[in-house]
Order: sequence, then structure tokens, then C-alpha cells
Amino acid sequence: MIESILSLTFLAQVLRMFTPYYLGASAANFSERGGVINIAIEGFMIISAFGYAFFTLTFGNPFLSVFMTLILATAFSFLYALLTIKLKINQIVTGVGFNLLMAGTAKFLMMFVYQSSSNTPAIQPIPGISLLNSIPVIGKAAGDYIIIFAFVLIFLSQFILFRTRFGLRLRSVGENPEAAETLGIKVRLYKLYGVLICGVLSSLGGMWLASNQSSFSDGMIAGRGYIAIAAMIIGKWKPVNIFFACLMFAFFEGLEITLQISGSFLPTQIVQMLPYVITILVLIGFIGKTSPPAADGVPY
Amino acid sequence: MMSRKLKANMLSIALSLLTTIILTSILLLAIGKNPLMVYSMLISEVFGTGYGLGQAIFKATPLIICGCGLALCFQASLFNIGAEGQLNAGAFAMSIAAYTFDDYLGFGVLPFAIICGFIVSALWGLIPAFLKIKRGISEVITTIMMNFIALALVNYFLIDFIAVKSTVRTEKILDSVFIPKLSDFFGSFQGSSANLTFVFAILLAVFLYYMLYKTRFGYEIRAVGLNPTASKYLGIKTNKIIMWSFLLGAGITSLVGINFIFGYKGYYEFGFSNNLGFTSIAVTLLAKNNPIGIIFTAFLFGVLDYGGLAVNTIVPKEIMLVFQALVILSILAIDKIVKIYYLKED
Repeated sequence: MIESILSLTFLAQVLRMFTPYYLGASAANFSERGGVINIAIEGFMIISAFGYAFFTLTFGNPFLSVFMTLILATAFSFLYALLTIKLKINQIVTGVGFNLLMAGTAKFLMMFVYQSSSNTPAIQPIPGISLLNSIPVIGKAAGDYIIIFAFVLIFLSQFILFRTRFGLRLRSVGENPEAAETLGIKVRLYKLYGVLICGVLSSLGGMWLASNQSSFSDGMIAGRGYIAIAAMIIGKWKPVNIFFACLMFAFFEGLEITLQISGSFLPTQIVQMLPYVITILVLIGFIGKTSPPAADGVPY
Repeated sequence: MMSRKLKANMLSIALSLLTTIILTSILLLAIGKNPLMVYSMLISEVFGTGYGLGQAIFKATPLIICGCGLALCFQASLFNIGAEGQLNAGAFAMSIAAYTFDDYLGFGVLPFAIICGFIVSALWGLIPAFLKIKRGISEVITTIMMNFIALALVNYFLIDFIAVKSTVRTEKILDSVFIPKLSDFFGSFQGSSANLTFVFAILLAVFLYYMLYKTRFGYEIRAVGLNPTASKYLGIKTNKIIMWSFLLGAGITSLVGINFIFGYKGYYEFGFSNNLGFTSIAVTLLAKNNPIGIIFTAFLFGVLDYGGLAVNTIVPKEIMLVFQALVILSILAIDKIVKIYYLKED
């Protein structure tokens, strides 16, 4: 068993699993840094995974499909912003509604377009980067644009949030909107930016999963949107910490898959629930103090 | 003033249903189906036959029960998103108690199993309540996380120790301890799975309504929900109310097991709940957390659930998932708009 964990294949597996987690967790982070809780990451991933599958099957061009799916996700983001920012409706309840809406729409369209309740026909994946793909094992498994983007995002989001004027303003809106307003910052506009970035990033995570499985299937997101939120909490709303949290969850998922194949002493269900147990332990305060943005979830 | 508020409530419910019907019709038109045909087929299939009506009642029953449990939490402003986990843990325990003791207890196994299920769900619901009181952790995050933990644990114990070989279900209870079907009393429901649990669910809703609106305990729950700080000054023990709301609310969700285990299949099956815990959130919000209202909104969702199957020949039944989600989002939005423009609040 140790050999199967130390192998390059396992490492490649972990890097791949890391991608949707980190995209989802960063998505949640951008939204919450602006003070808007979005528990509909799961739904955004579902609708985007379906969207990518649908657009590639219709147009046959992966890059065009990514573009179209991003437009779709952005449309949903605007709707989410309308309800939570403009109308100031409770963000949790809206998130629950969005999850139901996006999961339901994906199921309905899959049945209507492909007459299947389980999966779409096989699709074209997002192409790999040929230069990277020539590296054995790792490059072949983990060398596509979205994976690379996920890793760049670690530094990019750290930079944007803590080194740019935009990031400073976004954070101030999430910490103390009244103060931000008196400084002349358009609070709701920045909240909207946070929600839109959230939609785009979680959408990329969903698309990547569909691309990686070469189809969209019912239940394929399997709670990853919620794990992403858990990773953000464990990472204490900081991009680099979130990276380590996601890496840990990806390791668990890789382990779960490996254990399923090689048989093990640990039941897979126990491995499955670890991310959630750890999140609660972190919240209790066993692993350092957590401090969400002060005005997180409070409508303004 | 009160009547104006009631009018506003009626107005927003009616408008949101109308909005949902319009949006769904647009979707149906977009995919080239005639919405009028879909709706008329749905209505004639559900209300035109005793079987259809019975199936709608059968689907509404667990929604009423789970909705009542959630209403108790929501009235105290506790966002319990964890019903899915709570009810699965409880129903699983209920079924184990039921098949283990049905030989010895006869019909007495029903109250015994109900109590076992209730306790398990209630204890599971106490964890987020405890974490909220002691550590100030939002119940939203903990209940979401605990959904996954509950499902993983149930799955583990079920698959590794308890399930009947090569299935994902527990042993079946004796035929003699099943709850009578409604068709035993009213022949026209013939063939449908609707059973006496429906009557129990309605009694539960009435009881909860009485408790919430006519007793001191209920008044305290609502006071904490409206304004926890002010409640403290009124001498209400806020923490105690949070504990009890979560304990009873989560406990009640386990009672959905009665409908499935004692009224329908005779066993717990993994995945039986099929997102019931989340759909119930929509049912409860649509009824504005009022238990009597929940009877009607749950029935509406029951009609949609069975109606989806009935119209499946012309449009995929999943259209009803979209319809249900649109109902919840439109009630949220329109409620707010009515508040701003009709009640001039906010």
C-alpha cells in the first residue's frame, strides 16, 4: 500500500483532484472577502460541468465551450447578486435555492437533450499543453490549461487580494462596509465583483471535472462544492493556507481511490468524511483561531 | 396592521406561484412543448384518479413532517440545513429497532422504534446547537458538514455490518406491524402507497402550530427568532431555547421514517430520502414557517412530485425539480419586493 501512495501516478492523481477544490475554494474566498456567503458553489460546478458537456457536444470546439459556459455561469452570478446584494435576501437560503435550481436544470436538460438520467455522451476534453504533456506520467495527467491556472491562481489571488487596490477595497467591503462607504467605495459594486469572480472560478472547477471524466454524469460533483467551502474555512480565508487545505483534501481523495483499488484497513466512508470532521474541529478551535471577514454574510 | 401583513403574505405567495408558472411555461415553450397541455395533463392525472391523489398524498407526507421539524428551528432563526443527515441517521436507527424487536413487541414496536429514531436524530441535532452556544459557531456550516458525516457513517454501518447481502437496505419488518394504507378505509385510493402516516403528519402540524402560537414555550421560541438580544432582557433563556428547538426540530425530522419504513417498504434503504431534507427547506419557507401552511405547501410539492411522473411521457419529470427551485427563489424575491413596496418596510 505504501508503494502505491509513493508512486508518481498517485502524485498526479492528487494534483488533478486538487484542481477543482482550489478553484472552488478560491471562488468562495473572493465572494466572502467581499462579505457575500455563497454556498451555491456546488450548483455552479454542476451547471458548468453540464454546460461544458452540452456546448462541446453542440459546437465541437472546447475553447468556445469554455467561453460559453463562463457566460452561462456569469448570468447565474448576476441573478445571485440581484437577490442577495440588490434585494438583500438571506444568502444561505438563496444559496440553497440556487443549488436546487442548478442541479435540477442540469438533470432536466440532460434528460431532455440526451434522454439519459445518468450521463451525457462522451465529450472532448480541454486540450493539454503539448510541451508539458511530453513529461512522463505527471505531465500527461496534470498538464492542461485549467490545472496550470489553478496553480497560478495561488499566487494570483494572494497578489490580487493583498497587493492591489482592488483587493484592498474588496476586503474593506467585507470587513466594514460602512467605513468603506464613507471612504467613497461603491460597496455593492465590489460585492458584485466578488460574486462574479466566484461564479467564474467555480465554473472552471466544474468544467474541469466534466473534461476530466470526458462526460457529464449525474452526481459527479459529489459534494466538492461544499468541500471547497470547508477548505476555505480551514485555510482561514487566506490563499496560501487554502492551498494547503485543498492539497490535504486532494490527498484524502486520492487515498480513497487508491484504497478502493488496493483494499485497505480504513473503510472508504471514514476517509470520505474526514474533510468535514476536520472542518468542524478547526471551527471549534483545535487548530488555531479562525477569523472570517467581519461583515461576512451581512447584507448591506 | 396585522391584516395588512396577512394580505401581504397572501399576495406574495400568490405572486410567486404565478411567477413560477410563467417562468416554467417559458422554459417549456423554449423546448417546444405546450405548457397548457403539460399543466392540464398534470392536473387530470393527479386529481382525476384516486390513485394519483393518493400518490401525491404519499409524497407530501414526509415533506409535512420534515417541514414541521425545520419550522421549529427556522422560527427560532436557526438555519438548520442539516435535516438530510438528521433524518437519515434517525430513520436508520428506527428501522434497526423495528426489525430487531418486531417479534417481541408486536404493534408496540411502532412507538419503540419511533422513540429510538427520534433520540438519534435529536442527539445529532444537538451537536450543532451545542457548538453554537458554547463556541459561537454558525449552525449553517456545521449542519452542512454534518450532513456528509451522517451519510458517511450510516453508509459505513449499513454496508459493512447491517445490510441484507448485496443490497443497500436493512432487514424487512414483519408484515403484521405495517401501518394500514388509506385505501383500506377509502377504496378509491386503491394501489397508492398513501397510509395513515399522513393523518399523523397533519396532527403533528396542528400540534406544532398550537405549541408555537398558543403556548409560552412557543412564544419564547419565536421571540428568540425575532430578536435574541431583546429576548434575553425579557428573561428568556436564549441558550435553552436554542437547545430545545434543535433537539425537537431534528428529532421530528426522523419521523419521516414512519412513512417509508412502517407505511411503505418495511426497511431503511440508503438514498431513500432523495434530498428530502433540502426540498423540505423550500416547503417550509414557502409556508413562512407556519406548520398549518406547511400542510398545503407540502401537498403542492407532492402534487408536483407525482405530477412529474404523470407527465413524463411528454416532458421529462425533472422539470418539476426546476419548478420547485423556482418556487423557492421567487417567494424569496417577491416577499422582499412586497415588503419594500407594499408594506414600506426596510
